[in-house]
Amino acid sequence: MSVVELRGVGKRYESGAEIIDALKGVDFSAERGEMVTITGPSGSGKSTMLNLIGLLDEPTEGTVSLRGRNVTDFGEDERTEERRSALGFVFQDFHLLPMLTAVENVELPSMWDTSVDRHDRAVDLLRRVGLGDRLTHTPDELSGGQKQRVAIARSLVNEPEVLLADEPTGNLDQDTGGTILDEITRLKNEEDLAVIAITHDEQLVEYADRVVRLVDGVTRT
Amino acid sequence: MAWRNLGRNRLRTALAALGIVIGVVAICSLGMATVALEQQATAQLGDLTNEVTVSSGADSDTDGVTGEQVEEMRAIVTDARVIPQKTNATTLEARNGMEARMSVTGVTDASALYDLTEGEAPERLQSGALISNATADRLGLESGDPVEYDGRIYRIRGFIESEHSFGFGGGDLVIPVSGLADQRHYDTVTIIAADGDAAGRIGDRLDTRFNTEEDEELRVTTFGNRAQVGGFLDTLSLALLGIGGISLVVASVAILNVMLMSTVERRGEIGVLRAVGIRRGEVLRMILTEATLLGALGGLVGALVSLATGMVLFHVITGDATGALGWASSRYLAYGFGFAVAASVLSGVYPAWKAANESPVEALRG
Repeated sequence: MSVVELRGVGKRYESGAEIIDALKGVDFSAERGEMVTITGPSGSGKSTMLNLIGLLDEPTEGTVSLRGRNVTDFGEDERTEERRSALGFVFQDFHLLPMLTAVENVELPSMWDTSVDRHDRAVDLLRRVGLGDRLTHTPDELSGGQKQRVAIARSLVNEPEVLLADEPTGNLDQDTGGTILDEITRLKNEEDLAVIAITHDEQLVEYADRVVRLVDGVTRT
Repeated sequence: MAWRNLGRNRLRTALAALGIVIGVVAICSLGMATVALEQQATAQLGDLTNEVTVSSGADSDTDGVTGEQVEEMRAIVTDARVIPQKTNATTLEARNGMEARMSVTGVTDASALYDLTEGEAPERLQSGALISNATADRLGLESGDPVEYDGRIYRIRGFIESEHSFGFGGGDLVIPVSGLADQRHYDTVTIIAADGDAAGRIGDRLDTRFNTEEDEELRVTTFGNRAQVGGFLDTLSLALLGIGGISLVVASVAILNVMLMSTVERRGEIGVLRAVGIRRGEVLRMILTEATLLGALGGLVGALVSLATGMVLFHVITGDATGALGWASSRYLAYGFGFAVAASVLSGVYPAWKAANESPVEALRG
């Protein structure tokens, strides 16, 4: 069963008199254990698609399913709970909080939740991405590649089933990007994740099990 | 977490907290100043306001207060001491040849009117004399020395503290009332009541009894009672607190601005928090906590500064710095602190609500 599924999904933006169809009738699905990259030129609707899969945005038509449940009409609080339990995010700009240490950044998603203690999981994840000796460093003491590893560890701390990555290698050089992608691939297998990444980067495409091309809001495989 | 967020822009945090500090200091020290003034005013006026002074009225044909009138007063005023006095003036000559002109008071109940530098004034002054400390110094008189008035000799039994009050019941030389027997009537009658309010009521009763609209038999004088003094001070403290309140309002607008700026600045970050599954309520709590911490920090520093200011004020106004620690004045520290926290939380609400409810996609876009 697909862990993520889009059926006939469209997204229309209205700004003033202008109407933009960012996505038109997109069908898409992803299984656990596979890495799918979504590529396409700027403005093709990649980010919109990732936001819809990530429950950050709502489609104007079609249905979005996560773990076999139709989540299209979920309210903001329900979608937050889904993001918290099932989804992990990695961003191009890392988006680490500057005043927190590496391990605190990883614990961030559950920091307010007193019912669980993710500290051991956070330390374990940082060790697994090779930052066992950087636990108490703050982001400005880490290199770009190290920051992205922290961000990856953060995305996995709540044991999600889907990892969503928005240009994860976009701010890294070729070599660092390669090791990050190795890391993601390894974790994908260890944690049985569905990885969905959007990118311009040809290198990332090489790591993908499957590539989806988006042009003008329509998928082409 | 909230604490560290505040630490990120220390200057801004410090300036916002400074605004609060000033507000709190304004509220506290103005409040404490009024308490100090009130205490001082009460202490100074207390002796005066509970006295009623009676002398002969404009339409009296006896040129004094008669013995019958005094008896009537005693009958009417059962809850206060009625002390009739006769006064005159004389010149005393000391053994060293110095002379001094002074007033003479004949009174029986000396203890009610006079405080002595040593020991107690006799409850019934039958023999001997009391003399004011300052006069005794000037003339080189000591305890047991004789003084002469109207051909009779009195031995000095005690020295009157120079400033009894503002001079009522005054008199440099105090002798038994029998010494002024050639004066038929009493010149003044002092009635000492429990407090200013009671004095006012006694004054009214005597006025009604002895006087009519056209005929003033006795002149009854009371002083602005404590309720009036208190009323004035209440108005003063309200006005001062109002000024303090305004400065706290200004401070909370500064906090509102700081929190708003800091949430706008961290828009992307808050978007990330929301994306990784932080609930809206948790974002709200985080920002409110920041505002509260800011208020508590400013409030605490403000309270400490105010305490120091208050002690200086008390020292200057009442001469007793520890008066600032009394609940009457230190409660303003609690008020100021409470106000600071409340104002900060209140001004954190809108930025927090705004940050928490922004769509994560919009926020992430930065």
